[in-house]
Amino acid sequence: MATEGLAPPVSAMRSRPAWLEGLVGQLLALLASLGIALLAGSLLIIAYGESPVAVYSSILQYSVESADGIGYVLAIATPLIFSALAVAVCFKGGMFNIGVEGQYLVAMVTAAWAEIELGFLPGPILVVVVLIAAMLGGMIWAAIPGILKVKTGAHEVVTTIMLNGIAVSLLAWAINFPLKFSNAPPGQNVDLRTDQFPEGGLIGDIGHYFGVTPGAHLSWLFFLAIGAAVLVWFLIRRTRLGYEARAVGSSPGSAKAGGVSIGSIQIRLFLISGALAGLVGMQQILADRGHLPQNYVVALGFTGIAVAFLGQNNPIGIVFAAILWGILSRGEVALQIESEVPREFIIILQGILILSVVITYQIAKRRLAARQLQRAGAAGELEDSAGSDEDAGPRGPEITGREAFERAGEGGV
Amino acid sequence: MANGDGAGGGGSPPLVVLERITKRFPGVLANDGVDLELRGGEVHALIGENGAGKSTLMRVLYGMYRADGGRILVRGEEARIASPRAAIALGIGMVHQHFVLVDPFTVTENIILGEEGGALLDVDAARQRVAELAESYAFSVDPRAVIEDLSVGEEQRVEILKALYRGAEILILDEPTAVLTPNETKDLFGNLRKLREAGRTIVFISHKLDEVLEIADRITVLRRGRVVGETRPADTSKAKLAEMMVGRPVLFRLDKPQVEIGEPVLRVDGLVGEGKLNGIDLEVRAGEILGVAGVEGNGQRELAETLFGLRTPASGTIQLEGSSITGRPVGDIRNAGVGYIPEDRHDQGLVLNMTLWENAVLGRQDDEEFASGLGVMFIKRIKALAIRLVQLFDIRTRSVDVNASTLSGGNQQKLILARELETDPKLMIAAQPTRGLDVGAIEFVWRQILDQKAAGRAVLLISAELDEIYALSDRIVTIYGGRITGEFAPDAPPEEIGVGMLGGTKEPVP
Amino acid sequence: MPFTDIAVALQISFTYFTILYLTGLGGLFSERSGIVNIGLEGLMIIGTVTGAFGARFFTDTIDLGTPWGPILGLLFGALCGAIFASIHAVATITFRVDHIVSGVVINLVAVGLARFLSYAFFNGQATQSDPGGPHLARLDIPFLSSLPGGLDRAFQSLSPMVLVAAFMVVPVWYALNRLRWGLRLRSCGENPEATRSLGVSVPLYRYQGVLLSGAFAGLSGAFLAAEVIGNWREGQTLGLGFIALAALILSNWNPIRLMFFAWLFGFAVAIPLRLNDAPVISALPPQFIRMIPYIVTIVAIAGFVGRVRPPAAAGKAYEGGGGT
Repeated sequence: MATEGLAPPVSAMRSRPAWLEGLVGQLLALLASLGIALLAGSLLIIAYGESPVAVYSSILQYSVESADGIGYVLAIATPLIFSALAVAVCFKGGMFNIGVEGQYLVAMVTAAWAEIELGFLPGPILVVVVLIAAMLGGMIWAAIPGILKVKTGAHEVVTTIMLNGIAVSLLAWAINFPLKFSNAPPGQNVDLRTDQFPEGGLIGDIGHYFGVTPGAHLSWLFFLAIGAAVLVWFLIRRTRLGYEARAVGSSPGSAKAGGVSIGSIQIRLFLISGALAGLVGMQQILADRGHLPQNYVVALGFTGIAVAFLGQNNPIGIVFAAILWGILSRGEVALQIESEVPREFIIILQGILILSVVITYQIAKRRLAARQLQRAGAAGELEDSAGSDEDAGPRGPEITGREAFERAGEGGV
Repeated sequence: MANGDGAGGGGSPPLVVLERITKRFPGVLANDGVDLELRGGEVHALIGENGAGKSTLMRVLYGMYRADGGRILVRGEEARIASPRAAIALGIGMVHQHFVLVDPFTVTENIILGEEGGALLDVDAARQRVAELAESYAFSVDPRAVIEDLSVGEEQRVEILKALYRGAEILILDEPTAVLTPNETKDLFGNLRKLREAGRTIVFISHKLDEVLEIADRITVLRRGRVVGETRPADTSKAKLAEMMVGRPVLFRLDKPQVEIGEPVLRVDGLVGEGKLNGIDLEVRAGEILGVAGVEGNGQRELAETLFGLRTPASGTIQLEGSSITGRPVGDIRNAGVGYIPEDRHDQGLVLNMTLWENAVLGRQDDEEFASGLGVMFIKRIKALAIRLVQLFDIRTRSVDVNASTLSGGNQQKLILARELETDPKLMIAAQPTRGLDVGAIEFVWRQILDQKAAGRAVLLISAELDEIYALSDRIVTIYGGRITGEFAPDAPPEEIGVGMLGGTKEPVP
Repeated sequence: MPFTDIAVALQISFTYFTILYLTGLGGLFSERSGIVNIGLEGLMIIGTVTGAFGARFFTDTIDLGTPWGPILGLLFGALCGAIFASIHAVATITFRVDHIVSGVVINLVAVGLARFLSYAFFNGQATQSDPGGPHLARLDIPFLSSLPGGLDRAFQSLSPMVLVAAFMVVPVWYALNRLRWGLRLRSCGENPEATRSLGVSVPLYRYQGVLLSGAFAGLSGAFLAAEVIGNWREGQTLGLGFIALAALILSNWNPIRLMFFAWLFGFAVAIPLRLNDAPVISALPPQFIRMIPYIVTIVAIAGFVGRVRPPAAAGKAYEGGGGT
């Protein structure tokens, strides 16, 4: 063995591991984007003749400075966490699930069906069954683009969006026919909706334990969401499925050469994503309303994408990003009550935030890579010029190899 | 060995002077105060081993890189070459090793791109100009042909024409013969001599010393970013050049282990696939290294991929120790005892964005040693594996927690080797295993491959470098157009093998 | 089912052809230059709100009257689309953000921004009973609008934009294939390294491609809001931007083929709007009929996507050219 250039014993190697560096970089990027968004927002607020400090502090007042506020924020965050996790799971595998929107609609239909048809089941069991029905609904709707992608190569962006459109009509049909409200007095005009779900099938408010108003509808779904985030983290980082998914998302060729079945991974990711998506609508129909109305809350799927980007597709980051989003959403209420600035300002703020996150993250990623390369080079680890001639081509002089081997035969290097 | 002491190679003033050129990249000093002079009407060879800085230097001259230090004089005046456009304006043209041609466009469109002569495209006039230009240098090329349909040699001619069309007086060719058959090389040299007669200057970057001695007027040798010598073919020899390139005396002897060759481990019969493989028959026995020699593009990559299960053959059989593995998925083939060193370590070897330990277990993540039945991975064990591999193979890194992208090319290849060898495969498929590596890494890889042979394992070596084939093989076959075109003893002379690599009078199947 | 129903369906299909073709052309310029743009929907949305506003503003507020008012309204929508698309351009070209990620962001931001603008422009979205805004005078296509058998309805009372869109294929084809600009644009999408090595600025042409996509999609959206529906309402675009994307893919990024697919999908969109009484279709519940265009798109994409060949470098971050 050569003595020159022998790598130091690995146990003595101490350096910041890649994941930690990445985390620090992401956090900085997020903070920087937040700063940019708030700054840009301030300009807009000033244009309306108000003080940014006042506006921002009123937003905080309505979101984090009271138990009620926190309750609202967490309740808003709950479906967003599920939604963003669904997006992130597929993204790790290199795919874009833009169809969370449709998947949670279908899930609400299957959940409503379970509530109504299986309503005879006792309380806690009914809830579990309904949640499973929801996840199944989401999984089925997500399986379609997954299978299409694997079997036909159809790009999931187009297929998922089309399925979103179909889901809207599907839900409308469900409310109109099979699941129609059965107690409307004849001749009267009633909002389209399903029957009210049985009492045992609802998810009760837990906010009152913490001094939060029941109107916020904070339920144990929030904790389920946190649990889901932990589970997803574990899945991605600690299981073979997560490992193979990341390999496929990063370098499908190498993954395949490593024995990974790409199609199988892709379909499994869509199924998991669909299951998570299925839970997105549960907050509104099981905790908030108790039935599936015609004017159900939309855009949770798309907002989930935004939250996923904000959280950099990292389950922990997603939880924080969802909470941040909840805080901003409460800002709409704050603005309405306390300010002349229109509530749509919040939307602009959110838009700028997403944009700057996406861009600053790119910049951070490249800086990090360059720095890693630099450090590796400074430590003398780069023997050949990684970056100039090397690529895929020339090698040493024709005969040096023979010479090298000959000397190796002698025991030297 | 005709040395062209070309017209103008004597006392004319230098056309281009590179003075103390320095260029840095993150972590590496590619050019360190390089001086170079180019004269009109000469073929100037720039040689050095991989990583010496030859391509970098020329890219600085061509305006693709900005030098960190030093200056460039063209025709006696200091020039600031900030982009390829500026270089072209000064009469400097470059043909890269990997052609930059737009596949779906025609020859004419490729040549005029950027120099169209007006906002409105007059395709006929352009075609005419291209045809005339080609004729004046006796380049045979069809202006209407689409790049996708051309052979490699023809593509190269298009690249050269591109430069000439823009009035290049100085033509830089980066490893031009790496992808040519011996015949095409002959044609190219003929064209280069014509250009030299016309007073053009040619910079010939290469590592192939025989060719350099044949065509060059002057030779400059680079090593680790510095000029270590300048000479003429008449005053030097292959051995002396090699010594200058590497920095120590270079000898020619080889020491292959003596091993008894056993039963066939791999049998391939009539393998046909997707237009690239047209009927491959071969056999590799235990304790044997079979070298598959051929110019790239003749089905080598497809052969390796099909054998490993990355592609499904249309027909034919593949047998490992008697049992069929035809069309089986990669996982099964791995488990049956086959290892794979891919041609492209970034696309089929490592996942660059993952850490070393994650890469170390790739291919064995199903192993019950590394993951539980439910799929939870035993990270401690995997990291221990990675640490062991890093130490065993002397992979230069500070920890196994860094991303694979931080490793140098040589160390990346070592990691792949370490990982594949760890399972002690009965058959190792090694495709271009030392591409892009420097001498130390090449020697290391060769030693590992020979160790496999010594241990009685079988190795299928696919390589475009004849010296590698010679260094390692017990038997040699040539591949051309997706077929095996000849079998040779390990001491067969290169001319004979070259015939096999040519495979006939047809042009290679694209 | 009376023949006139088919004719009217055809007429509607021409209108939606216009929308899909214009948006698709936008996507074509962007992708041929190498930048994947799935934000076409968002760009259209911006076009709808600014176009609806523009039509009213130029016609009534500045009192230019028709046809200049609506024309400027359409152009305003195109301009705003281009400006909004510059976000996608900067993100993908200068900052090398993943193209699809940036496209998704564009779509997200567009919805919010449109809502915000709608309050600034008209105090929120229009209701069902609001009267339509000003639009270009409709015309009948000569000769074809006198066809017998009820077919004449298909070619009557069409917006002149339909003809504009249809004839757009000529300048577009010409620019792509007969102008130096087009050759350079296409080479950026096929092989940016080659393009750069010849001294042509890849970012420059890609910026142009993306801005054009914004202009065309914005024009299309403006047409939808101002000419077709007459008012701005949220969600007007109905996924048409993505249907246009599908049409673009199926047409293999060819402006002539795109005409066919844009019309085909336009007809699929027209079915729920007009052919509810057709033999097979009337058996379906109304909500299922509304699914038809989406199902048609999925089937088309799944069935034929294997046979298309996108520009070779579309979607790949180009390392050498971003703002260097």
